[in-house]
Amino acid sequence: MDNLLEVSNLNTEFKSDYGSKQALHNISFKIKEGEVLALVGESGSGKTVTSLSIMGLLPNNASIKEGEIKLFNTNKDEIDILTLSDEKHNEIRGNDISMVFQEPMTCLNPTMTVGEQILEVIIRHKKISKINAKKEMIGLLELVEIPDPIQRSNEYPHQLSGGMRQRIMIAIALACNPKLIIADEPTSALDVTIQAQLLELLKKLKNSIVTKTSILFITHDLGIVKELADRVIVMYQGKIVEEGNVLDVFERPKHSYTNNLIQSLPEFKIEKRNKENIQNITKSDNEKLILSIKNIYKEFPVDKGIFKKSTETVKAVQNVSFDVKENKILGLVGESGSGKSTLGKTIIKLIEPTSGQINFKNQDISGFNKKKMQNIRQKMQMIFQDPFASLNPRKNILDTLMEPILVHNLMKKNEAKEYISQIINDVGLPSESLNRFPHEFSGGQRQRIGIARALVLKPEFIIADEPVSALDVSIQAQVLNLLETLKETYNLTMIFISHDLSVIEYFCDEVAVMYLGHIVEMAPVNKLFTNPKHSYTKALLSAVPKVKTKKTNKILIKGDIPSPINPPSGCVFRTRCPNPGIECTGGDIKMGLVEVEPNHWVDKCCVKLD
Amino acid sequence: MNFFLKKLLIVVPTLYIAWTVVFVTLNIIPGDPVNLMLGGRPASDEVRENVRKNLGLDKPVIERYGSFLINATKGDLGKSYLTRQPVTKMIKENMWPTIELSIGGLIFGVFFGVLFGVFAGTKPNSIRDTISMIIALCGISLPSFWIGMMLIYIFGTTLGWVPIVGDGFVSLILPSISVGLFFAGGMARLTRSSLVDVLNQDYIRTARSKGISKYNIILKHSLRNAMIPPVTLLGIQFGLLITGAVITEEVFARPGLGQLLLQAILAKDIPLVQALVVYMTAVYIFLNLIVDFTYGIIDPRIRLERKNQ
Repeated sequence: MDNLLEVSNLNTEFKSDYGSKQALHNISFKIKEGEVLALVGESGSGKTVTSLSIMGLLPNNASIKEGEIKLFNTNKDEIDILTLSDEKHNEIRGNDISMVFQEPMTCLNPTMTVGEQILEVIIRHKKISKINAKKEMIGLLELVEIPDPIQRSNEYPHQLSGGMRQRIMIAIALACNPKLIIADEPTSALDVTIQAQLLELLKKLKNSIVTKTSILFITHDLGIVKELADRVIVMYQGKIVEEGNVLDVFERPKHSYTNNLIQSLPEFKIEKRNKENIQNITKSDNEKLILSIKNIYKEFPVDKGIFKKSTETVKAVQNVSFDVKENKILGLVGESGSGKSTLGKTIIKLIEPTSGQINFKNQDISGFNKKKMQNIRQKMQMIFQDPFASLNPRKNILDTLMEPILVHNLMKKNEAKEYISQIINDVGLPSESLNRFPHEFSGGQRQRIGIARALVLKPEFIIADEPVSALDVSIQAQVLNLLETLKETYNLTMIFISHDLSVIEYFCDEVAVMYLGHIVEMAPVNKLFTNPKHSYTKALLSAVPKVKTKKTNKILIKGDIPSPINPPSGCVFRTRCPNPGIECTGGDIKMGLVEVEPNHWVDKCCVKLD
Repeated sequence: MNFFLKKLLIVVPTLYIAWTVVFVTLNIIPGDPVNLMLGGRPASDEVRENVRKNLGLDKPVIERYGSFLINATKGDLGKSYLTRQPVTKMIKENMWPTIELSIGGLIFGVFFGVLFGVFAGTKPNSIRDTISMIIALCGISLPSFWIGMMLIYIFGTTLGWVPIVGDGFVSLILPSISVGLFFAGGMARLTRSSLVDVLNQDYIRTARSKGISKYNIILKHSLRNAMIPPVTLLGIQFGLLITGAVITEEVFARPGLGQLLLQAILAKDIPLVQALVVYMTAVYIFLNLIVDFTYGIIDPRIRLERKNQ
């Protein structure tokens, strides 16, 4: 295979008021025609800077100090991209090299229809009439498998789901048959089921494109690399630390950083743990219930303006019941929009349940008013998802941690100081951090502060809402380890909300799978992961790209999660079910769990199917 | 359109409240209108009683309030105490010069405001940005009487390019610049900051990755997205203009609503003041509707949200 792109000795630096910082150190690599090259690394490793250097889209405060990027033409002419004028570079962008970005929500112009946005690039580079361009545009929409392409092309980005928007981005990138597509974390912001759909699409395109298009795939997800890429480059702090064929790198990593990266994957940690101690499972089973919820419903009225009475409701949580045993961790998993976070907030009564019972330590707290909840709140705490947004930027850490103690009158101010510095040590931060402000910490450190904030009240029960989703893999592993230690030292019971199945598998004792407000399956972790019964669980499990397992046939589920305002009648999953039965469609079917094996609960609908 | 029907329905109570407030305030303010009408001349009780009857002031307050509201909805806002002419006629006569001036100022302000805003915003923190913004700041902060006088002195008297007084389009140029500079300054600053914000958005990076030229990125992808804050300002400032620019009218010796209001207040001509306030509230509400409508044109998200309501 011939080389398509050669990057040699690339050095890019960022200038700021505090001086300049080098983001890339002597980056050199080649992309061959028709290959998929993955660029892997954590945030800040320089993956995106590399791609933006190739595109010539670096922000104003960044500059390329040294290096060469050569693009080889069909006639084997070489073009040195870095010496091109902006106008000449514009000829290449979108035409020879195109890009798919990470955030489908913000990457499309909100005031132009998606059709116009695809047309624009075709007309710009192919110089053909609008009518012909329109035909090509519809063809592209069909290629990226958008249903009703003609109608969809007249819609605006906000009318489409995240997965659809990313398909539009891919259509834009494919529009001019580019030689190279740079895909910068194209699936990271999407649900695992939608990610699986897109990866399948990319694989199809990769095999069907005759024109030998190469893909530079930037990701932090090693599972995707394994699934999609031919070769992989591992970056760390602006340097390339390892390069090679995907199989070689995963099986025999040469650099210690690559090895650590692989070892910190939950799937490897699970394997390691299973090898190390099997007695973990046979631990004394404490059957004391700390929380038991029964038939919880939460519905939000849809705002219809001043003059109309709201008749529709968002059915966020539907008839959910489960128990949590003391010192256990229950995982709640599902796509975004499945109602996991709402359920979490309802249990802790940050929002009132519409109906149902919440028994916390043998007290039904569902009817408790604010005053009565005050005492309960001390025992129930929440860790939030976004460590950046959930800390008050104007308060130093000491004040942030002090406030709940004073509100609950736990101890006097001077006693509290000592106690707080002990807690901050427990979460792995030095006592000096107490005088600092949130912006002075990294994401992982901030989440440690978030955990400390939940712990200062000495709670017995914690709801952790996606506590590690915003963090890099290695930081994720550290925070999970911390939570595990804290669970033992503070004797905690937890509900752990996550969309990441491997994290759930590693961390939890039991799992409940949620879909459109319903729990469709619930079982101890090892049972659910080895023997899933519900079609949705099976699809979720197969959608996760894994490094270890051999490529198997994926169970793909179609489309997006339906609106919770008008959920499908009968079984809510039937519209996306890979093998729906006739009995699932009946309007009189009531969803509900049945126990198929001891402690393994599955929704009725899927039990009939088996 | 449902959305605008609702908006129109809110207009009625808003006008009602505004008119009531006007009526109540003007009736609370001490001073007998009859005395004001007589202008301090001595008069017998009989004459006073007659005048009172003529003005309809002998009736109880509630009745006057009722007939004021009823007449107002019919478009009859009474007669001026001073000129004995219907106030609506007086407003009509003075409305056109004001509208002319406002539109002149609007065109000047929008053109130069957007121009300077785009010029500055496309290259933030550069020299051209700094200079543009200094000029904009001057436009906002220099008092309009001074600008008016300087314009007359330079272009009217010294250079003799344009007439200072008179009718027609040419005589509108200097007053338009005089009111438009303030307008332009605000527009420039807001357009700049909004544009800087938009140019940092992800979809602009996407457009660049498609090889779209700089010119088209600003024209097709940025400006429309950046226009919501400037349009809001436009509505407010145009409202200020169309209710009369007293100082500019004074400096250029133009007739207009500003002048009329000033005279009415000084002479305590209650029906005229009342009518002018009624007119101004109506104009503001109308302009707000237009601004709301424009939001929908600019941003399809707002348009669709309204449709769904």
